[in-house]
Parts: sequence; C-alpha cells; structure tokens
Amino acid sequence: MLRVVKRDTGSTAVLGPVDEADLIERCRADERAAQDELYHRFRRQVAGNLYRVLGDRTDLEDLVQEVFVIAFRGLERFRGDARLSTWLYRICVNVALGKIRTRRRRPTAVGVVDLDATPVDPSLTDRPETPEKSLERREERERVYRALEQLAPKKRIVLYLHEIEGLDLKEIAYLVDSNPVTVRTRLFYARREFYKVIAGEEP
Amino acid sequence: MRHVPPHRWADAFAGKLSEAEVAELDAHAESCASCAKRRDRVQRASSSFPVLRAQSAPELAWDGVRARVHWSVSSARRARTRSTGRGLVAVGTLAACGAAVALALATGSAPRPSVATPAVTAPRRAVTPPPAALAGLVSRQSGQVMIDGMQRDDAFERTLGAGTVLATAEGRIDVQFGDHSALSLAPGSTLELRRFDAEQIALAVQGTIDIEVAPRAAGQRFLVIAGDRTIEVRGTQFRVSHDGKHTRVACHHGLVVVRDARAEVAVAAARKLDVDAAVEGSHVVPLSVSELDQLAGATPAMLPLWSDAKALVHSSAALEVATVGKRAVRVDGVEVGEGPLRVRVMPGRHTVETADPAGRFRRAGWVDVTADHTARLAVHAEAPPTGGAAERRRQLHAGIDRARLSRCTRAFAKQGFTDTYVRIEISIDDTGAVGFLNVIDSDLPSTTQACVREVLADVRFHAGAAATFRDKIDL
Repeated sequence: MLRVVKRDTGSTAVLGPVDEADLIERCRADERAAQDELYHRFRRQVAGNLYRVLGDRTDLEDLVQEVFVIAFRGLERFRGDARLSTWLYRICVNVALGKIRTRRRRPTAVGVVDLDATPVDPSLTDRPETPEKSLERREERERVYRALEQLAPKKRIVLYLHEIEGLDLKEIAYLVDSNPVTVRTRLFYARREFYKVIAGEEP
Repeated sequence: MRHVPPHRWADAFAGKLSEAEVAELDAHAESCASCAKRRDRVQRASSSFPVLRAQSAPELAWDGVRARVHWSVSSARRARTRSTGRGLVAVGTLAACGAAVALALATGSAPRPSVATPAVTAPRRAVTPPPAALAGLVSRQSGQVMIDGMQRDDAFERTLGAGTVLATAEGRIDVQFGDHSALSLAPGSTLELRRFDAEQIALAVQGTIDIEVAPRAAGQRFLVIAGDRTIEVRGTQFRVSHDGKHTRVACHHGLVVVRDARAEVAVAAARKLDVDAAVEGSHVVPLSVSELDQLAGATPAMLPLWSDAKALVHSSAALEVATVGKRAVRVDGVEVGEGPLRVRVMPGRHTVETADPAGRFRRAGWVDVTADHTARLAVHAEAPPTGGAAERRRQLHAGIDRARLSRCTRAFAKQGFTDTYVRIEISIDDTGAVGFLNVIDSDLPSTTQACVREVLADVRFHAGAAATFRDKIDL
C-alpha cells in the first residue's frame, strides 16, 4: 500500500487500516457523522498541503472545500490501494495544480508568499529568532516561491514534491497520476530551471 | 573547468555527490567568484526547504468550510436524484412513443410518410414555477445544538429553509414548519432539510427524530430519508431512529410507510418496525405501553397558531428558562421539556413552573414577553425541605374557614352527598408563604374542588419551619 504522507500536521489523527476502512464505508453510506469525522481528522493536513504547495492562503478555504467535496463525491471510486491520507494528498495536488494554472492565466496583484503568517514547527527552531534572522528567513522563502512561480505548473508540482517535500519518484508519480519515467524527465528540467532562477540567472 | 551549473550545487547540498566531486566543485568556486555567489544562493534556498516543509496549516473558519462542503455534497446529491428522475421520465416517454408506433404499424394505421408532411414542431415545454419554499422556526432548544455547523445565539431569530443542517450534541431542538407540523431532533442526531417546499418535504436523518405532521394535501409529500430507507407519511406522529445500519420506525398515530429499494411495509398506529438488513422480512410489532408513553412525551413543541414563518419570527419571541441543573419545565401549564431551555411563545404574560427534585411542579414565576425580544426567567434552587410538616399541618387545620368551606359543599350536600374529601399537596416556606397548593385527589366535581382550594389557599401561616406535605381534608 502506497503511503506518501509522512508527517502528522495539526490535529490529523493517524487511523489504523480497520478504522480507516470503517470510516470510508460509513462515509459511503452517507453517514453525516462519519463525514464530519473524516473532515475533522484531515482538514488541517489538507489545508497544510495546499498552503505549502501554493505558498499563500489566498482562497485557501475555497480550496479546502473543493478538496473535501471531490473526496466525498469520489469516495465511491476509492479502491483502497493507497492510504486515505495519500489519496487526499493526491486530490490536494490536483486542486493546487488547477489553482496554479488559473493564476498563471489571471495573475493577481496579491503577493505570492505569506508563509510568515503561520508558525513554524517549534522543533525546528531551537532558539527564538532574532528579527534579522526572521527577515532573512522570510526573504529566502519568498525567493523560493518566486522561483517556483517561474516554472510551468506540472514542473512546479513535481519539483515541489521532490525538493521540498522529499518524496521519491514513485510517490510523486502516484500523486500526479503519471509514471515515474515522465516524472523523472519533468524533474530533470524543472530542477535546472528552478536553480537557475535561485542562482540569479534567467531560466 | 567550466562554470558549475546551479543544480549541481543543489545535488551537492542534498548529498547526492561524492566527496571528491564536492571537493572539485568547491575548488572551482574558490577561484570563480560568480560560482561562489551561485553556490551561496543555492545553499540558502536549500537550507530553507526543511522550514518550508514544517509549515503548518493556518487557522481557517473550519466550521464554515465544513458547512459549505456539506452543502455542496448534498446539492450534488439532490441534482443527481433529479436528473435520474428526469432520465427515467425521458426513457418512459421514449418507450411509450415506441410502443405507440409499433402498435400503429401492426394495425396498419400508420400514416405513410410524405414529402409534403409539415415539419413536426416540438411541443413547447410548459414552464412550471418552482414550488413555494417553506420556512421553519425553532420552537424549542436546549443544550448544545448546531445550525449549519455553528452554535447560534440567534436561532430563534432566523427561519430555516432547504439545505439547513441541524446537529445536536446532548441538546435537543424542535422546529415547527406548519400548523400542527413540527419535528424534534433528539440528542446526538443530525438532520438535513434536503427539500423543504410546498410540494415535498424531505428530511435526511442520522440519529433520532420525532415528527408530528398535519395531514398533507394531495400532491404534497413528506419523506424521511434514513440511509437507503425512506419513510413516507400523510399525517401522523412518529419517530425514526437510524444509526447507519439499523432503522426503527415507531408510529404513535396515523400511518407510516417504510420502504427500501425492494419492498415497503406499512406501520400503523401504536406499532413499530425494526429494520436491520432489508425492509422485506422485517415485522411490525405493537409498541409497549412505556414506548407509547415515551412517544407521546416526545411531541415537538409548537405554537398554537401558525401563519407565516417570516411574520411569526418577528411576532413571537423566545422565552429562556434558566434552571439550576436539569429539571422539567412547564410554561402555562404545558410541559415543555427539561430546562435550561428556550421555547418560542407568543407575546403576553406566561407562567413558568419547574419541577423540584421529587418531580413536583411548583410555580417559578411569571414573565412578560414582548414580540421579537428574548425574555428570560432565572429559576433559583430552592432550599431543601425541613421537617416542620406536623406543625404546619396543625396550622392548616386550625386556619381553615369552615363556614366558607361548608358554603362550597352546600349544594352538593343538599343532594345527599356527604363525607366527601379533598387530598392536597401544599408547600409552605419559612416566612409562612404558600409555595404551591395542588388538589391531587377528590370525590368532588371540579368546580367544588376549586372553591375548596380557594378556601385552603386563604389560610395564613406564621413564620416557622418550611414544609411540604400531603394531607386529606374531610368535608
């Protein structure tokens, strides 16, 4: 069984296979309590995934809604060959991809990155940050997301999943509904373009 | 050596290169300022990846998102149901046309196709206006209740329409949606008003719901959807409990039809049906006396007169009875449930009684209610009764105006009825004030009982021990 999501973010509870199967069955039976439970368990994970992929919280609530609507409608077709969290992650990736495409067609005046608005995992910062360090961190993130904006949507997703999320080709292939060879090719070109921008060269 | 491409630096920081390769790149960077600059930039970006990966989700309006998700999912379900229905109609129409043509050909009466045949124009689709939307009003609420995913303080100031989702924790909510038509959602239940218009009311329930519905007009349907089972009624009072697999339908009066994809069963008054797997094969059995009593006690709260919900929401008001702990509450002599609660009443003066720990109702006070303003009555915990009953009983008997009492029973006595009695229950507080006085039993007619009660109520008590007791007064 493919399991991509390695972290537990927010209140996402880890479900055992039996619990998960039961929850899915109850959701399929249109049981509201089960749908609420699924939403409650995975809402932070879904929001976190979308937030990190996109780099800002513009329309985040709408996107979270879209992910869960797709999930509830598509549960009938969920075969269980991946964990539920992985399947939801896959939906997140597709929704984010759609959003990135829309943004490229209709660029907005809203800044790309506002990741400073949310707290960083405390385990990663062993001491309080100085204002200078915080500013530096923020600028670095903005630079990364600006560089990501330069890439074509498919390349961007693949690069994000590999470089930032640290997923391997097989996992990425499942998430983007492609095959590992295609992913590897996309990643090859995406990395070149991305690091060129990061290094200060034009892609 | 040529300049180092930036992604090679990324490979180096990700540990994908051997030590020798890294050393070679570093050596080049020592002598090449532009490569050293690129290296630093890529390094800074690479070092920010773990921080980006650790970003947690921002706080969102989770309940609002949940409500919208549910709305979207249920809307899609409704649309699917409608389109399926239309599809069936279309298939039926085609089949009918086909059959007509086949019949005509078989009888030889089919008209020969002619070049001059005028083009058949499609009949214009009759535009039928959508049925008028219904609106419901919260008529009673106690405990934790969510409307569309939120606990709302203004539940009594809003009307509820199609798409509304009600959910109860340990609370209960009653909604009136017509004259003598209301529902009561029991604790731990969820209800969605899937369709709520003059043509059809369809309620999807998870948990337990008690419904009283006035007889529906021709063409009006009332459905309760419990999983893949449907409960349809005309006019009745009934209860549906559904927990995902098991469905129980209990009918207080009227007739209820329970159906699934394969069969349907009618449940008559004072009967119940338990469905575990399929309706087919499930048996209707009589309700026990206690079940019937329970069903009767769960009648939803209703306003006595119903006109238009949108007008009533402003012409009525919520009366909040704040009790200490859970205790039964009566408003104007009608038991409305366990307080603390809010109940919808019409403007005017309302008397509130609450039950003491022994279950005896005593007057908590009265409250003036004005339209569109929530009125509140706080009921304080009373002091525990003390043992002064004997003294108070003696005072009662000594204080009764026997002459007035005999006037009450004179007409009755003239007819030869003597040795009559009233059995009373009375509560007297430490100041000598009468808390309540109830006639609990008598062999007198009610008018005479009332006269006797007035005489007893005029007995004056001194300050002393508080007491609540029952006594028999022989007349």
